[in-house]
Amino acid sequence: MFLSRFRVNTARPGARRLMSSPQAMHAAVMSSFPHILPSDSPAPDAPRVLWRLDQRARAEVLLYVVSPDRPDLTHLVEQAGWPAVAGPENPGWQTRPYAPLLDRLATGERWAFRLTANPVHTIRRKEGEPRKLTAHLTPVHQMGWLLDEERQQRCGFRVCEKPADRRLLPEGTTHQKRPHPGDRYELAVRDTRSLSFDKSRTAGGRQGKPVTVVIVTFEGRLEVTDAGLLRRTLTQGIGRARAYGCGLLTLAPLPPSDQHTA
Amino acid sequence: MSRTSVLALRLAGPLQSWGASSRFTRRTTEPAPTKSGVIGLLAAAAGIERGDDGRLAPLAALRFAVRMDQPGTRIRDFHTAHHGVTGASMPLSERFYLADAVFVAAVEGDHDLLLALRDALRAPVYPPYLGRRSCPPAEPVDLGLYEDTRLEDVLASVPWQASAWYRRQRRTPQALTVLRETAADESAAAADVQRDQPVTFDAAGRRHALRTVVTDSVSTPIPSGGGGPQDAHDPFAALEALENESA
Repeated sequence: MFLSRFRVNTARPGARRLMSSPQAMHAAVMSSFPHILPSDSPAPDAPRVLWRLDQRARAEVLLYVVSPDRPDLTHLVEQAGWPAVAGPENPGWQTRPYAPLLDRLATGERWAFRLTANPVHTIRRKEGEPRKLTAHLTPVHQMGWLLDEERQQRCGFRVCEKPADRRLLPEGTTHQKRPHPGDRYELAVRDTRSLSFDKSRTAGGRQGKPVTVVIVTFEGRLEVTDAGLLRRTLTQGIGRARAYGCGLLTLAPLPPSDQHTA
Repeated sequence: MSRTSVLALRLAGPLQSWGASSRFTRRTTEPAPTKSGVIGLLAAAAGIERGDDGRLAPLAALRFAVRMDQPGTRIRDFHTAHHGVTGASMPLSERFYLADAVFVAAVEGDHDLLLALRDALRAPVYPPYLGRRSCPPAEPVDLGLYEDTRLEDVLASVPWQASAWYRRQRRTPQALTVLRETAADESAAAADVQRDQPVTFDAAGRRHALRTVVTDSVSTPIPSGGGGPQDAHDPFAALEALENESA
């Protein structure tokens, strides 16, 4: 497995086209691998290509890619990167083998994490109606999606709880008396975006309805509960819309001052 | 004589209002929290009822000081209200507030009393507010109990509590104004006098005595972080750390 980072040159038209359509970005990321077609779907339980856009500052957008093979992002540099900065030493992106980190993961470790995901559930508005996939729109529900006991177990981690003296509110309920995590967890919803973009035209030349996805960026701290499952989560992603820049979980070391407060 | 400790409080909120000389319909605010306001906050947290002057007296005897970490701006509210039941107009009034201010207040006194007050702040009987019921604190009020120390030393050592945006605007170390009561062994000649020493909070008639105020300034340690870029998440850091280890 490999982890790559590419800085998008947001001033270029190519970059704007890619950033405005996850469909186009997915195709561009997938064309970084010579022997797979963008339309190929991976085997259900195999590592897959995951990507995510992180906006660091107003004009600093980073593309992270986790992939089974080493990517060649030359075409992205040409369309949407900084070709003048690229040289033989510095191809315009960074790629590192991911295996050392994956192999060293151990149960009980704590990490800072970031995840962009597509939190959805299925609902039925009235009896007898087929269930429909619906996005979670409020931070409480979005957090509830990630904090779901079963999901955390399946993913091999647990979101850390804050020490009691750093909480502003204990857990409680919302005004509609639904359970509410309060600020019990080391978890924040950074950004909620609703993307709407056109899928490519169908064979008949008909333009279908635009695709809409609500994507959310979570940040927080986690504790590894099952290294094997977390390894799988890191390489296969969490939740839906993984072709549209969702599901990629990344880990970063905790600042030294916080490591033993837990 | 038992040990002397200091309890520090962080008074930060969108609005605060600390009246010391308000009369009738013009409800002014002092530029910094008043002793009567802060003692009232502590008494409320401890569940001391209005009119219970016997339990209030040891609190009122604490030595008080306040540090202005972020002075805030004064705003005026032209207040119109109607009676909730009868609908009759209430008197028009002007109410003044401090917006976006942050203060560190400290009280010095007997260790056991302050320990009890600290515990009361963590599980208050009546919730704390910043001078007026409509001004809730934005952050936990309790900043810690400092044992065997003096008021002056605590206010000189607690890190600057101002908001990140305010700190970003003023990178250089700031001298912060401290308003404190005179110590027991200090002459009161250089001090101002303010009618702000709570005697009774009885609903039938609140009374305040005079207290001394000395203006000092301290320069405090600036907390690390807060001013830097928000985004610190770097997935490559973990990989680099591993490579350095094995190299």
